[in-house]
Amino acid sequence: MTPLSRRAFVAAATASLLAGCTGDRENRTTTARGSSAPSSSSSASGKPARPLGRSVPVGLRIPAIDVDTPVMRLGLAPDGTVQVPPVAADDRAGWYRHSPTPGQVGPSVILGHVTVDPYGDGVFRHLERLRRGDRIEVRLENGTTAEFAVGSLRNVAKANFPVDDVYGDVDRPELRLITCGGPRTADGYLNNVIAFAALSSSRS
Amino acid sequence: MRRTVLSAMALACTAVLAGTVPAFADGATPSPTVPATATAVPAPSEEPTSPSQSAVPSPIDESTRPSESTVPTPIAEPTEMPSDGQVSVVPSGAPDTGVTAGSSQSGGEGGLIGGGAAAVLVAGGVAVFVVRRRRATGA
Repeated sequence: MTPLSRRAFVAAATASLLAGCTGDRENRTTTARGSSAPSSSSSASGKPARPLGRSVPVGLRIPAIDVDTPVMRLGLAPDGTVQVPPVAADDRAGWYRHSPTPGQVGPSVILGHVTVDPYGDGVFRHLERLRRGDRIEVRLENGTTAEFAVGSLRNVAKANFPVDDVYGDVDRPELRLITCGGPRTADGYLNNVIAFAALSSSRS
Repeated sequence: MRRTVLSAMALACTAVLAGTVPAFADGATPSPTVPATATAVPAPSEEPTSPSQSAVPSPIDESTRPSESTVPTPIAEPTEMPSDGQVSVVPSGAPDTGVTAGSSQSGGEGGLIGGGAAAVLVAGGVAVFVVRRRRATGA
């Protein structure tokens, strides 16, 4: 092979390698920690806050993990599972509309992606970093902001998703933030990360 | 000189082909996790909220409604909304909130990327062949 041909071949091979690597570029920030947090679903704050009236959430802010996102409404998928926000570059959180609105008595459920390939990180990419006592602010349609305090965080296998703990009745205003986590395989994540929080205060 | 020009052209073609691969991968699955039916797309919270504030379940069966993008309720989804707290409809299974490049919803991307890489290799081989042939003929 002549030097010129060799150069052309090397260039083509390099281009192929670059093309192959592009598909994985957006996966760089995904973490797959398997550690589990305490499993209690109780609130961090023992001080009960007065429940709020029904008003759908329109925004979510979690200063501890730099989340500030609009909130859309989610329902049920045809297969009976909960819908998740669409995969888009402007990833956002979604409130499960068959759950109470944040601040009402009961478990209000908000979901978000941890990754949205091929766009990269999801809005709940750092949900697993939440710690007990971290503040969660939910802006409601009526102008009120409901403030919750994280009580616990759970990292559970999807096969053992704690349906009762997440969707079961509670006697005070609580919030669940759900995303994926744990080991990552070709079929997706094996776990769910769930943050349990309780209403601590509200402001208009 | 002509060899240099030919070589440069071959490299340029290869680079262009390589650049098109990510575009192919994107185009195959514009919305991997969104259900195919328009009614299954989650509705933004900015939409009118009056239906969800009704305590009375709607008499209309959602499953018989025509599929329109303006209908916020997914097919066969119960219409009852919680008015005084608690979850009125418990979903089945765990939510799939982590979309990965290798997940089933976006499985076509791997094939496209592989095909693109193969196309780039073929293009490179053709370029090598052409350059060598030109050299052999003394051009």
